[in-house]
Amino acid sequence: MAFTLPTETAKGKIREVELGAGEKARKVGGETCLPFYLWEGEMPNKPLVAAEVMDEVGELVPALEKALGGVKDDPVAWAKKAVEEWGADAVFLLLTSTDPKGTDAPADQAAETVLKVEEAVKVPVIVYGTEDLEKDAEIARVVSTKAEGRNLLIGPAKEDNFKKVGAPAIGYKQTVAGMTPIDVNLAKQLNILLTNLGMEADKLIIDPTTGALGYGLEYTYSVMERLKIAALFQDDSMTQMPMLANIGFQAWKTKEAKSSEEDYPEWGDPEKRGIMWETVTAVALLLAGADILVLRHPESIRLVKQLIADLSG
Amino acid sequence: MEETCRVLFLPDNRYIVVPRGENLLKAAMDADVHVNASCGGSGSCGKCRVVVEEGEVEREPNPKLSPEETAKGYALACQTRVLSDLRVRVPIESRIGDKRIFERREPVPAHGHLLSAADWEKRLPHWELNPSTCKVHLVLPPPTLDDNVSDAERVKRGLAMEAGLREVVIDYPVLQRLPNMLRQSDWDITVTVLDSGEELRAVRIEQGDTTKRQSAIAIDVGTTTISAELIDLRTGEVTARASDYNAQVAFGEDVITRIIYATRGTGLAKLQSVVVGTIWNLIKTLVEQAGIEYCNITHLVVAGNTTMTHLLLGLNPKYIREEPYIPSATFFPWIKCSDIGLRIAAGVYLYAIPCVASYVGGDIVAGMLASGIFNTDKLTLYIDIGTNGEMVLGNREWMLSCSCSAGPAFEGGGVKHGMRATRGAIEQVRINPGNYEPMIITVGNRKPIGICGSGLIDALSEMFMTGIINEKGKINTDLPTDRVRATEGGAEYVLVRAEDSATRRDIVITEVDIDNLMRAKAAVYAGIEILLSSVDMDVSMIDELLIAGAFGRYLEVDKAVNIGLLPDIGFEKMKFVGNGSLLGAHLSALSKDMLEKANEIARQMTYLELSMNPAFMEHYLSALFFPHTNLDAFPSVKEKLEARRKVRYAGGEAATAREVG
Repeated sequence: MAFTLPTETAKGKIREVELGAGEKARKVGGETCLPFYLWEGEMPNKPLVAAEVMDEVGELVPALEKALGGVKDDPVAWAKKAVEEWGADAVFLLLTSTDPKGTDAPADQAAETVLKVEEAVKVPVIVYGTEDLEKDAEIARVVSTKAEGRNLLIGPAKEDNFKKVGAPAIGYKQTVAGMTPIDVNLAKQLNILLTNLGMEADKLIIDPTTGALGYGLEYTYSVMERLKIAALFQDDSMTQMPMLANIGFQAWKTKEAKSSEEDYPEWGDPEKRGIMWETVTAVALLLAGADILVLRHPESIRLVKQLIADLSG
Repeated sequence: MEETCRVLFLPDNRYIVVPRGENLLKAAMDADVHVNASCGGSGSCGKCRVVVEEGEVEREPNPKLSPEETAKGYALACQTRVLSDLRVRVPIESRIGDKRIFERREPVPAHGHLLSAADWEKRLPHWELNPSTCKVHLVLPPPTLDDNVSDAERVKRGLAMEAGLREVVIDYPVLQRLPNMLRQSDWDITVTVLDSGEELRAVRIEQGDTTKRQSAIAIDVGTTTISAELIDLRTGEVTARASDYNAQVAFGEDVITRIIYATRGTGLAKLQSVVVGTIWNLIKTLVEQAGIEYCNITHLVVAGNTTMTHLLLGLNPKYIREEPYIPSATFFPWIKCSDIGLRIAAGVYLYAIPCVASYVGGDIVAGMLASGIFNTDKLTLYIDIGTNGEMVLGNREWMLSCSCSAGPAFEGGGVKHGMRATRGAIEQVRINPGNYEPMIITVGNRKPIGICGSGLIDALSEMFMTGIINEKGKINTDLPTDRVRATEGGAEYVLVRAEDSATRRDIVITEVDIDNLMRAKAAVYAGIEILLSSVDMDVSMIDELLIAGAFGRYLEVDKAVNIGLLPDIGFEKMKFVGNGSLLGAHLSALSKDMLEKANEIARQMTYLELSMNPAFMEHYLSALFFPHTNLDAFPSVKEKLEARRKVRYAGGEAATAREVG
């Protein structure tokens, strides 16, 4: 008798969340199996690879400067390039200009940038503040209002500002990413708080906080995996939201990704090193269950998209 | 010559002469004036507030006192040094509550069922009145030249022939009195024999027939309260009851502080003499109430947690506190009361119910005995919620216990306006969901002074159900009421306004308080989950939940379930045991068989050390949420919350969300 591979069928299903509106709309989540366990269930939507775009940047590492060319100071052009040339599935717009510790640009001004970027690209847009509780709440309010109906993914909502981020998103029909510090219970609790606020459960994304390779990756991995297992095999409705992994930011701030060749000749070509650091982190988190991967370098985007295509058969 | 000062304490109207520069709290302690002090004099709790009405002091500035208060003469006794003759008033909030608590009728719990005498009968196996000491009346034949055995051998022979008691060992003091006593009483004597389980020992000899006068005392030595019962051993009836605070409270409210005190200098001897003092006063009260003689008492059975038992017996408790948490002993021999400084009458012995481990003591073993868990097939969870949440899961075949450090929050510690359940303590709270106005009831129906454990649980549940706090315990400061306010140290809810309180200060519940209570309830619930999961069970399999301890008497079960302190398994399965520890001591005092049963329980019980359990943190973190991160485990609460949410949305909450934008 032939050997049949034993399979485990999940009781639960990851919620299917739509990002963007109209022709731009893309769905994430919806899987009924652990990542790429396609013999046990299905993944109707491939994980989304989003390119990180910033509305204000200082000096970047040479590898990124080189990749960006002349678009570094123009978020709209940067976003267009990411989508049209690099093949990003979505734009992750980080409003660095709004950081109260930096330029502290007014929320209205940032919202204008958001609208311009959104109009320039044919993919969903994710808008993130700089993790300042008050400022992020203000951005969420202004951006939600001005971008009514465009179904942006707005974040990060945290335990201490979830109401101020969530309420306008409910009112103006945006989707929200809830961010918690690498903990299964806290992630779930924030989802409960947001849904109790009146947020639809399928308008939520989990941002479990990401650690880069060598900087807590295994911790992130295990938390994401446990969230996924709780969602699929315990049918825990408050962990069934798709997950976002914010990788580029974490990977490119590591010493290994940003040190020059002069400082560490034995580490080899810094460009290749940085790209690999970002890509390896992304691959690990893809297998941990990330539904949205936020990356910086075009080569990382290409490699990760290729891998997703290969794994999806 | 050393300069001295005279310090007068009001309203006690008691003074003491102390050296200049003495600490005021120490002066109060020496003068036997009670000032609440929960931090051992470190200046961190701010509870030892006194008013210096006259005289000169030197005080450390302390953030617990506002400049206005300092100007009015307020000082923290522990941070104050005596510089001249003083007149000091101890204000109402710093005084220990009076003993009225003990005169209160035990309230009938709103939900749940207090076990009655009839229930006990059903729970326990058949047992007989057969105490560890017995009195034997002997009329001995006087010695002759033919029958010339010694006096001691003559008594032993009498005991063997009259009562079948063979090979009795005669206690040395009895031996000393024997020759004269026998001859004075004309060979008509009563011998008290103690059956220690290992040997028979004649512990007392009296003239004539005293067999009709025999009593025992059962004592629950609690960390906070000591309760005692006088039992007539001929009938098994309780003839008197008494309770008092454990005087050790003055040396720290929890066992850890007391262990630390005991390991310093003569601390252990001091703590022992203090608890013996409390017990002696209780015995005096019992003897007076019942109108008996001290010499009627033939033995004592005490049940206390491991630390209390150590301190009473004068055993070094130091290693209970240090990893790997080893007590000096868990089984204790019968000891002479006089050996611990308790001089009741000649030859009175005491038995301490054995302990299981450092943090599961004789009080729990006694509770297991009294609640009959060793005699049932039902899966029973027994919980004693105090500073340590001790719990046992099991039935007649197995018992698994653990102890989780809940902290003192449920006893009012670590809570801004927390206090014990004494007069003026808020014990019941309701909050109007429409206007967020509270309704409170205090112990003794006095002006409120603070909030006790049951009041805190009530308040938390009500605040949660009315949406004043969210699942994380954060206060919603957007509510249309001035009872909710933001302060520098976080938001707070005003339960009692200054004009209504006995302390003339607002009584509030702060987010910090809520955090502390949340941690306490999470520790208890995590303990329950660990016990269950380590035998691969879940809450739905619990047939009966027994709640013991003084705290249990005042607890409103549904409120405790709302906040996720107790599992949501239906009120019909929950029962109150009352003081299980005292009941167990009582049974052991009446019957050798029950006492042996207690020993068996202590031997049989498995102890689970939570500090070593990697899953504890995980369970604890998921319990740091109201009622719990896993809401599905609390179906009745879930239902209530959903109903509440529907009402709120019907009220137009969804529309206001839009206005935010």
